[in-house]
Amino acid sequence: MAVAKRQTKKVNQMNSTRLGLQATVFSAILLTLPACTNLKSSRDVSDPGVPGRVLAVQVCSSCHGVTGESTSPAFPKLAGQQKQYLVAQLTDFKGHERRDSRGTEYMWGFTHLSSRQVDELADYFSSQTPMQGHAEAADAGMARGEAIFRQGIPDKGVVQCASCHGAAGEGQGTFPRLAGQHANYLLEQIKVFQLTDQRPRGAVMKQVTHELSDADAAAVTRYIASLGAAR
Amino acid sequence: MNTIPRFETLLLFLARLIRWRVSAIGALCTGLLLSLVLCEPAMAVPSFARQTGQSCVACHAGGQFPELTPYGRLFKLTGYTMGERTNPLAMMLVASATTTQNNDSGPSAPHNTLNGPAILDFASIFIAGKASDNIGGFAQYTNSFYDSQDANGVWHNRFVADNFDLRYADRSVDANRDLIWGLTLHNNPTVQDVWNSTPAWGYPYVSTTQAENGSLPAGTLLEGGLAQHVAGVGGYFYLNKSIYAELTSYQTAKNSLSFLSYGNQPGDTTNPLVQLDGNSIYWRLAYTKEWDAHNIMVGAMGLDAKVYQNDTTTTGLPLTSLGSTHYQDVGVDAQYQYLLAPHALTAHFRSVWEKIDDATGLVYTDGPANLNSTMAKVSYVYRDKYGGSLAYTKVSGSPDTTAYGGLGPQNVPDSERWTPELFWLINQNTRLGAQFNLFTQYAGASSNYDGAGRSPGDNNTTYFYLWTAF
Repeated sequence: MAVAKRQTKKVNQMNSTRLGLQATVFSAILLTLPACTNLKSSRDVSDPGVPGRVLAVQVCSSCHGVTGESTSPAFPKLAGQQKQYLVAQLTDFKGHERRDSRGTEYMWGFTHLSSRQVDELADYFSSQTPMQGHAEAADAGMARGEAIFRQGIPDKGVVQCASCHGAAGEGQGTFPRLAGQHANYLLEQIKVFQLTDQRPRGAVMKQVTHELSDADAAAVTRYIASLGAAR
Repeated sequence: MNTIPRFETLLLFLARLIRWRVSAIGALCTGLLLSLVLCEPAMAVPSFARQTGQSCVACHAGGQFPELTPYGRLFKLTGYTMGERTNPLAMMLVASATTTQNNDSGPSAPHNTLNGPAILDFASIFIAGKASDNIGGFAQYTNSFYDSQDANGVWHNRFVADNFDLRYADRSVDANRDLIWGLTLHNNPTVQDVWNSTPAWGYPYVSTTQAENGSLPAGTLLEGGLAQHVAGVGGYFYLNKSIYAELTSYQTAKNSLSFLSYGNQPGDTTNPLVQLDGNSIYWRLAYTKEWDAHNIMVGAMGLDAKVYQNDTTTTGLPLTSLGSTHYQDVGVDAQYQYLLAPHALTAHFRSVWEKIDDATGLVYTDGPANLNSTMAKVSYVYRDKYGGSLAYTKVSGSPDTTAYGGLGPQNVPDSERWTPELFWLINQNTRLGAQFNLFTQYAGASSNYDGAGRSPGDNNTTYFYLWTAF
């Protein structure tokens, strides 16, 4: 038993030495790796040399889709989004000024984007075929949603969406395109505007949505999601 | 007489351990740190989150590590290279307490030597992150504080290689085609897989190591039989987020690859290195689809391996003259996820069929054998905070007096277990959980499975754990 233990100890010591040697060789290899950049397919969000278009397809597309048509409603569609709006949001994520939970969880890592990269990313998504609508049956809820979108709810101070976001929900400048956006994402953002100050740049929406009931918010977001060319 | 160190003593012990191991792992850590171009001060978050700047929930469904989201799977498939190069070091601690329902019956009592007290169970160090635009890795080394107990009741720790996956990956993507491809060097079949329906990262994500009969009495080779004994070099591709295919060849992780099997070594009778007879081939196919907040995967996998049996009494070396044991495993698996705040639902299924031909006559003596293992599990997490899961696991196989004679008079492995679990994510790095193993069958019987009056329910365990990474 004692002999076996001594043997095991010796084997352990030999193994420790071997692990140390292997680690040294591995480390030497790893030391040479930083030089191995691959700008055509890099996923390095801290390298200002990576073109925005490369980051868009290599990184952003993982959630937002290569065509800007995200599959999951957890992530907003970006296809055909207004360029100025995209630049503003990327700037706010970069500076950690947009603080809603989804934004912080997924977007706060993009702190090293250069101005050029932000501009190129915004170009990439804004120049895409605009996001497509989700076909919905015409019912009372859709009619209510359309009424809020086009006329607002004057007695509650809810301004019609179309006044800033356009008659077709196409957006303009820093007012985002809404037509065809995921209803779930829109609803989540309405709650952020209503209940928090986590999107300071969108402070105007706090007043607009202040008196919007949950049922009306659901109706108008469902209507907006149906706008645009059908899927 | 058992010796149960206090928590403070264990922390002192950990500090000593780190000093002892500094010669072995120091070069690795120092080298990696030196190789960092964008080194940041260490923050109290694990290294992948530091690298991507994203929260744990971006990659882990409902924050229930290590269960991956679609984004987490892409992160792994692209070689852990998204984000910025940063400090790759992280640590993990698991403290736990396990109670066995009936700890005293039968000739092998006590079944759970500790049975009750909270212990610092194990600690891991990770070196995980991107090394270049195409290369990244995940290396985990773990110290188990209660690995074995000697005749005087003193517990001994053991420091071992744990999960390891080093990748080269690239992605060619445009509006018409999305092709991810890569090469992987790893140390356990399926540790490279990105769906948690496969064994290496499958449920249970953490479980008791203390109760002797707290787990199923048999499992297929694919389900951990080669873990941290082999080195696999594989190639894979994932096309249009739809078709995944992989082929990996395994050989024994020895000589220059022994860092993958550290802790298991030839000549050690307690922890001998499993030696493969030639190369072993593993294959994997999967189909995936995403729609709205849903995603599914259906897949299949297989492993063909010949394994020498070790002499565990005198030499700790393989008995190559006796030939080898041939395992042929084929499995199917599936996964469904619904991920939309505040809900995260994941369901898994896996079944593996194994054929065994044992030329050595040491493991199976009643002719060719077969073994089937099945796992089904569903889990739900609310607001990335409060979660629960229910799992069903079952194993059945042909009778064999040598392989299963020690379990009970029926000489079969057939066992069935339900595992409900509740957990609370105190923060994104820390999980507190209660897990219960409830056996309805053990060793082919629903009562008196050992012929000495012990029932399957006597093996039930209650397991409380605190799991944190930083």
